[in-house]
Amino acid sequence: MTVDVRREPQAESPAAPGQYAIEVTNVSKWYGNVVAVNDITFALGPGVTGLLGPNGAGKSTLLHMMSGFLKPSSGSVRVLGASAWQHPDMYRSVGLVPEREAVYRFLSGWEFVLLSAKLQGLKDPEAAARRAIHEVDMESAQHRATGGYSKGMKQRVKVAAAIVHEPQVLVLDEPFNGADPRQRLHLMDMLREMAANGRTIVFSSHILEEVERLAERVLVVVAGRLAASGDFREIRRLMTDRPHTFTVRSSDNRRLASALVADPSVFGVELGDGRVTVRTSEFLAFAQAVARVARTADVSLFELLPTDESLESVFSYLVQR
Amino acid sequence: MPIFWLTFRQLIGAKRTMLLASAALLPVLLALVFRSGGDQEPAHWTAQTLLAQFVVGTMLPLAALVFGTAALGSEIDDGTAVYLLSKPIPRAAILLPKLAAAVLLTAGFVLVATIVSGAIAAWGSTDGAAVLVGFSVAVVTGAVVYCALFMLLSVMTTRAFIAGLIYVFIWEGVVTRLFTGTRIFSVRQYTLGVADGVASVGNDVFKSDLSAASAVLMMVLVGVGATLLAIRRLRRFEIGETA
Repeated sequence: MTVDVRREPQAESPAAPGQYAIEVTNVSKWYGNVVAVNDITFALGPGVTGLLGPNGAGKSTLLHMMSGFLKPSSGSVRVLGASAWQHPDMYRSVGLVPEREAVYRFLSGWEFVLLSAKLQGLKDPEAAARRAIHEVDMESAQHRATGGYSKGMKQRVKVAAAIVHEPQVLVLDEPFNGADPRQRLHLMDMLREMAANGRTIVFSSHILEEVERLAERVLVVVAGRLAASGDFREIRRLMTDRPHTFTVRSSDNRRLASALVADPSVFGVELGDGRVTVRTSEFLAFAQAVARVARTADVSLFELLPTDESLESVFSYLVQR
Repeated sequence: MPIFWLTFRQLIGAKRTMLLASAALLPVLLALVFRSGGDQEPAHWTAQTLLAQFVVGTMLPLAALVFGTAALGSEIDDGTAVYLLSKPIPRAAILLPKLAAAVLLTAGFVLVATIVSGAIAAWGSTDGAAVLVGFSVAVVTGAVVYCALFMLLSVMTTRAFIAGLIYVFIWEGVVTRLFTGTRIFSVRQYTLGVADGVASVGNDVFKSDLSAASAVLMMVLVGVGATLLAIRRLRRFEIGETA
């Protein structure tokens, strides 16, 4: 399944070169025999896009190529109409928040953000640094050395340094790592506001809920391939409606199995090991039906467990489709 | 300028700097020991043993190795290089201030050690002042070339420090002594050539293996070449998932 973001409402007609803020075309990246990213194509315009996938899926490699830090082995990555690779001028309009926690430990938060503003060549770096620090709510700790910051504080000061020049495109690699719930919400609000002002924001995450809460569009990357892309609700529906397996323990497994197999939400039942294994393609319908079916069959339910609900299994399902 | 000060603070604040500051006292101690009982001619011992062998042969390359590889290499290792590489500035504008900071610190440490220890050891000698001036100029120029070379190593390999140690102790320390033809590829020999040329003292006081003209020419070639290569390498530098 691929819902190409080029067909989203904002881009009904075929894309003209340079129409999108980020254009990734047939991009692959390999290291020796290892393929990190495999023939991925997408284009992104203003708004928030979440890059979702399990750890090691190739999200960071993809973001590094969009950031101009990695040369694609094949294909092209264009940001704001120009090749991202070997093009430092691009950073006038692009802000980056790397995944790694490292900051200059001997600099204060203020010095770190001010350094970024100065290196951007801004006319009034102090004013820009003050504004960026205010945006991430770090005024109270700005004069402390970043070496003493918590992980969440480091994340926020990194974001401040990345937005100090008010970039048109913001690329964030796992930006919510280490942030507490309040900081996370604050950061999400800030990114939503930037997107509402016409900025293109791409962030990676391996946590479905983070992407669900923030991203309008999503790119699902699994094993270096683009497994799905498009509107988050569409992909969420696919994830919810994929085949699910439950194990049920009851007072009479055989009678429960024969009752469940007649229910339209169930397409497979297996008896064994003192439990019934049920396969369904409708998660919610089954969850609602199972108690009713058991009551009608006069069977008591002792345990109802979904199996294999890991994010990896969800992603694998999307790849196989 | 922000990158120069950033690098300067980064290098000066590290523990290695304190270690190097302690190491800078060693030639001073050696000079004091010599003054208390040495029987050689002071200018000759100062030039040949104290400055040529200890300061130029060991202290200068080690200080340059520490600062030259750390100026950019430590940021590549810990991932902070990304904050500089994601700015709209030419790669030369990142590398050159870093090189300047490394050279300033290397030359600063070694120059102080050279002047203080040399003054103690050669005090009262006729050629003492000339030897001091010659080696002072030489360690500064040597610091530039060594730092450029080690900075190039730091953008080429993650094991720049080890590679630098091999160059200093195996290549310059052993190979160039065994095979005189290889001295043309030794920064130590260039430094000694400059010291000899500037000092202009008699052969009985100090004589280098390379002529001053060859030494200066090679210093320019190696220093400029290494810097240009490092800039070129930084332009094509890839940051993977671990960086």
